[in-house]
Amino acid sequence: MDFKESPFMYGLAAFVIGFVVIESVFFIVKAWKRGRQLGLTKETLKNTVVSSAVFSVAPALSILTTVIVLASALGIVLPWIRLSVIGNLAYETVASESMLEVMGSSLSTPITEPKQFGAVAWVMTLGTTFALILVPIFCKGIHKKVGHVVSKNEKTSKMADVLSAAAFIGIIAAFIARAIYGKTPDGVGDAGFMSIATLVTAVVVSFLLELLCEKRDLKKLQPFAMPLAMFIAMGTAVVLNLVLPDKVTAFTWWNQM
Amino acid sequence: MAKQKEKMSPYYESVHRAGRVWTLGALGVLLSVPVAICLRFNAWPEMNDVFKALIKVLPIYWGTAVVEVLTYTPMLGAGGTYLAFVTGNITNLKMPCALNALENAKVRASSEEGEVVSTISIGVSAIVTTLIIAIGVLAFSPFLGKLTDPDSVFAPAFTYILPALFGALGAGYLKKHWRLAVFPVLVGVVVLFFSPTLAVGTLIFVTLVASIGGAFAMMKLKWI
Repeated sequence: MDFKESPFMYGLAAFVIGFVVIESVFFIVKAWKRGRQLGLTKETLKNTVVSSAVFSVAPALSILTTVIVLASALGIVLPWIRLSVIGNLAYETVASESMLEVMGSSLSTPITEPKQFGAVAWVMTLGTTFALILVPIFCKGIHKKVGHVVSKNEKTSKMADVLSAAAFIGIIAAFIARAIYGKTPDGVGDAGFMSIATLVTAVVVSFLLELLCEKRDLKKLQPFAMPLAMFIAMGTAVVLNLVLPDKVTAFTWWNQM
Repeated sequence: MAKQKEKMSPYYESVHRAGRVWTLGALGVLLSVPVAICLRFNAWPEMNDVFKALIKVLPIYWGTAVVEVLTYTPMLGAGGTYLAFVTGNITNLKMPCALNALENAKVRASSEEGEVVSTISIGVSAIVTTLIIAIGVLAFSPFLGKLTDPDSVFAPAFTYILPALFGALGAGYLKKHWRLAVFPVLVGVVVLFFSPTLAVGTLIFVTLVASIGGAFAMMKLKWI
């Protein structure tokens, strides 16, 4: 049996994943109780659960893809553990590739030496631990500062609202800008015709769904509008790739056909 | 001293207490994985090799960690922050998921209601993601490999998942606050024009500063 997919490794995965699920349940229950005390309706809280669950499906499939890509070299269990806790799509690939490079190997070759496997596990882990040290130290202080600023601004609540919206927009803007003119290190998903067409479809479908919800008073559709727009945009990317000539779909700012 | 303590509600105090315990617990669980692998297979790596690999990735990822903690903590709420940093995939999943939930519930992120909604959203997202990955790993891995293969018909759906996700999420904000949105997007594009492969963690910091700075300026000029 391949040591990378031994019962021991599956046991390790169960331990780590069990921890994450129990922590999530703990915070959900705590927040739910507080939400009810604050007067949030059961419907609002249920909608939050349903829309968040639906929203998570497509990105989770994308994360699963990374698990499967890494599985060819690392076995399926270690990437599974890493991407269930703290890990992210980009980091795990870069970290494991860097370690394997040092050892004269690469992600395209399956690891056969436990020593290489252990080394990759260390690099993947140590690279991501820093945030877990920073959060317990600084989280409370940052929230105190934010709370202080907001309470001061409640006299001029418009300012607080505008700045809060501006902060969200600042984050979203980075991804929109990348879809318009970004380049990825491996060249997959570079900005060009397909990224802009997907982005525009998502925006337009969102507008249309929101309009439909308003005009027809479809309150039950509202929580699904955003994930639905995302799925339709993803579907559009598939269809465009099928029906348009390669010359058009392969167009990027760095690969002008 | 007593006055300072009154500033934070007992709920927030208990969330921070629990969050610190869970996060330190997670740190222990996380570190136990390579330790257990090395003990079980008697395969301790050469520390020199590990160091050589770490030196390439640490400056980027530890730097990104500082920016992420400063950027996301005020937006995700206390419970949401502790959960999101343990469960990972913040930028591509937890943060947009929480933003969507706040928008749906029509609550402000900095309010206690926002704290509750954001925490539930991130918790549910973490459980759903864990379940999907577990089911996928155990049952569908051969099938999914074909689905996401670069030659698969469905590959473009996954390649362009981020424009789809942030386009759909950004639409609501674009509609309500289009004046605020134009400047940071423009700044992002200009920065990418000079440095197209700039890491998204750094780009977020730039567009965030541009967005908040732009909003201040527009308020001063009474454009909004």
